Amino acid sequence: MGEFQVHRVRFFAYVPAGIRCVAHSPRSARLALARTDGALEVYNFAANYFQEKGIPGHETRSTEALCWTAGDRLFGAGLGGDISEYDLEKLRVKYSLDGFGGPIWSMAADPSGTQLAVGCEDGSVKLFQVLPDKIQFERSLDRQKGRVMSLSWHPSGTRIAVGSIDLLRVFDVKSGHAIQRILVDRRLQGLYSRECVVWSVAFLSNGTIVSSDSVGKVQFWDSEKGTLLETHPVSSSAVLCLAVSEEEDSIVVGTSEGAVYQFQLLPVKWGSAESKWVRTKPFQHHTHDVRAVAHSATALISGGLDAQLVIRPLMEKVHGKGYDAALRKFTFPHRRLVSCAKKAGLLLFQFPQHLELWRLGATNSAGKDGDILPVSRAPEHLLQLKSKGPEHICCSCISLCGSWIAYSTASRLHLHRVHLENGSVSVKRVSKVPKLLCSAHQLLCSADSTSLFVASDQGAVHVLKLLEPGGCGHLQTLRPNSGSTEAVYLLAASADGDWLAAAGGDWEINVYSLRHFKPHCTVPAYNCAVTALAIHPVTNNLVITHSDQQVFEFSIPDREYTTWSRKVQQHGLHKGWLERDMPITHIAFNPKQPTHILLHDTHMFCILDKSLPLPDDATPLMNQTSLKQLSEKARRGHAHAFKICKKYQGLGQ
Amino acid sequence: MAMTRRRRAMLEKDVTAPEPPVGAAASSEDEEEDEAPEEVTFERARAAAETERRRAGETARRDKELLKEKRRRREELFKEQKKRKLLPENVLEELTSGPQINNNNLSDTTKQGENQDESENKNEGCNRGQDHEGGKQVVRLKGSYMAVRLKDHDLTSQHQKMAKDFVQSHLYGPGTNRTTANQFFSFANKKSPVKKAAVQFVNKSWGTEKKQKAKQFKKRWMSKKMVSSV
Repeated sequence: MGEFQVHRVRFFAYVPAGIRCVAHSPRSARLALARTDGALEVYNFAANYFQEKGIPGHETRSTEALCWTAGDRLFGAGLGGDISEYDLEKLRVKYSLDGFGGPIWSMAADPSGTQLAVGCEDGSVKLFQVLPDKIQFERSLDRQKGRVMSLSWHPSGTRIAVGSIDLLRVFDVKSGHAIQRILVDRRLQGLYSRECVVWSVAFLSNGTIVSSDSVGKVQFWDSEKGTLLETHPVSSSAVLCLAVSEEEDSIVVGTSEGAVYQFQLLPVKWGSAESKWVRTKPFQHHTHDVRAVAHSATALISGGLDAQLVIRPLMEKVHGKGYDAALRKFTFPHRRLVSCAKKAGLLLFQFPQHLELWRLGATNSAGKDGDILPVSRAPEHLLQLKSKGPEHICCSCISLCGSWIAYSTASRLHLHRVHLENGSVSVKRVSKVPKLLCSAHQLLCSADSTSLFVASDQGAVHVLKLLEPGGCGHLQTLRPNSGSTEAVYLLAASADGDWLAAAGGDWEINVYSLRHFKPHCTVPAYNCAVTALAIHPVTNNLVITHSDQQVFEFSIPDREYTTWSRKVQQHGLHKGWLERDMPITHIAFNPKQPTHILLHDTHMFCILDKSLPLPDDATPLMNQTSLKQLSEKARRGHAHAFKICKKYQGLGQ
Repeated sequence: MAMTRRRRAMLEKDVTAPEPPVGAAASSEDEEEDEAPEEVTFERARAAAETERRRAGETARRDKELLKEKRRRREELFKEQKKRKLLPENVLEELTSGPQINNNNLSDTTKQGENQDESENKNEGCNRGQDHEGGKQVVRLKGSYMAVRLKDHDLTSQHQKMAKDFVQSHLYGPGTNRTTANQFFSFANKKSPVKKAAVQFVNKSWGTEKKQKAKQFKKRWMSKKMVSSV
């Protein structure tokens, strides 16, 4: 008899939005990514490429350019004509300033990070000064005819190269005049065709301008004389984006066909001083247009309209096998999008603008391990809840009994009461939600469905009381002792309703006592991001997973790590476990087996059995299939704690 | 009305003719050798002058009449245009009674055929009260009317729409070698050595009207059957 009945849910039709632009900050090793639906994500490269922050999208926001300035501030500009600064602590837009030039096509920060140049639809390049708490319009360079599609600062900050339609111009920043005008030819050979759009430019420190255009060529120009140095026809469709490495010896370009090419500056002959740009490596990791590329010190980063973010390390820059050497493809967010009402057998799916409630199917038969059981009652789509307004849904949750649904957008919290009576579903909105809760970053219902925990800014967690006929009231606000300013993004509640654990953006985990409504303790600091939290229903041990694949178990009543956790730390985790590239996004427990911990990430599902010995690096980690062929006695000898199953098809497939 | 100086001179000459007839005769006789004398009696000249004056007066009057006529016609035309600006009576009635019938749907304005701007401005006032959150274009009245939302037509969204169209036409418009996934795979199926059917061969949206009609007929038939059996 199989141990579990596994429901294979194939009706979650989540389609992520395509990636429109990326911005890499080498100083803080972070990548900011903007999608076509207006959502923003920040990936932390140092924490094993974990998606640490996310700002939900907006219907009217279409970001065309992102850039990091001094002090790790992130600015975005789009076709709405506004320049917005993003507040990465409160996870929202701090303010927006109208550029007064029409839709903004491109934006770049100068090498010192104190000025922003913005290219607008009306042909003007406007300079903004970055002040400590806002940006201010400084002046506008000479207006030209034709929209400014792309721009790039010279590393000295004195000149700007601007690409528009059929033309390249070089502006002198101090005087504001155009000092060079270069015509980009429309076609290399053949008849006259439609206009050539210069999709992106880059200005190198030796005065060379690199341009990529809609005809499919990458050209190198001399900005002093205005002459063409080299032409490389790369594809038959447009070359949409390009990025230069910091040492200026490598350029990455992305095309409409989904191919990414690398150009390198190589000496013409071995040992000679003269060098040329040569197209070296082609990569085809995307199926649709690649609209954004970035070049970090060791990897090529590309994002496309197929919603995939691909990080391809360059082998000559990476030493040995480890985190840095793996090809990573991120398609789905590292956040929880599905909530489960365990007692009622319901699933809540979170889409950008609506929620869906489904009842799981049921089966009457039983079978052995690996059998597919026939479904006697099909899964049922019970409810579709549309959110009003242009903002996208940030987080959602359903209570364990399935009678309360809560979701939050960037500006409001919504709470609904659901009645399910033999076949009929009715939903009623709870109107008087306390005003102090403007937005939530994470929502969680308590185990007995009497309270709702709302994770909010500045490390605070609000506790709301859920009243029976359909109301709610504010009970308490829990704040950490350390006074952190970052928003809380993970919550875990214990089954007996006594403890609540919260993890914030500064990677600090606080445990609060719900009986006395005050902080109980803080988990010792670890220098990596927290990806999942859960509290064991019986022993009240807090299980924590980090983005570098470490697993910890912390006993809340004793305020210290458990002995098993210390054993794991001493022994070290298996190499195969540590080299996984996806973070664990959810932890659960088996009520029948108190020593089991269930974990999963995008590609695999694992049952961690604390009573079994830990594997060392010599034994294979994924030994489930081989164990099945052994006899019972041999199995007991070879079994180790990590039982991993990759047979299930994750969301990626 | 302009009399020739010669004519006037002659008239004056004729009026003063009796006094120095001898002199005139003498002078005229002097001129006799140069040109043929015009023998115009006073009566005839006076009659001619009167008719001249009368004719002149008549032309003046006629001109004035014409101008008046023109002015009157212009005024009428303006009045008619103004009447045309206002929507016909029945439409206005419907609009004012509309909110009571379906009370959810409008922050819209109606635009009719030619006179778009004026009618939009006129009706903005009476319809602005009802706001529908998140509502898109709603076709409210049948016939040649269409309801649009003013928010979609303001300057920023127009610019944004133009910019998006520019990008769309450059990435996906004519001149780019793009095709849909459906067509691409269908071609591959047809060109392969083993010919297969095109991808998504049946389009669910074919013949929707016929299907609707069939559904209605079936409903009616069933109800007729029920009635006759009962």
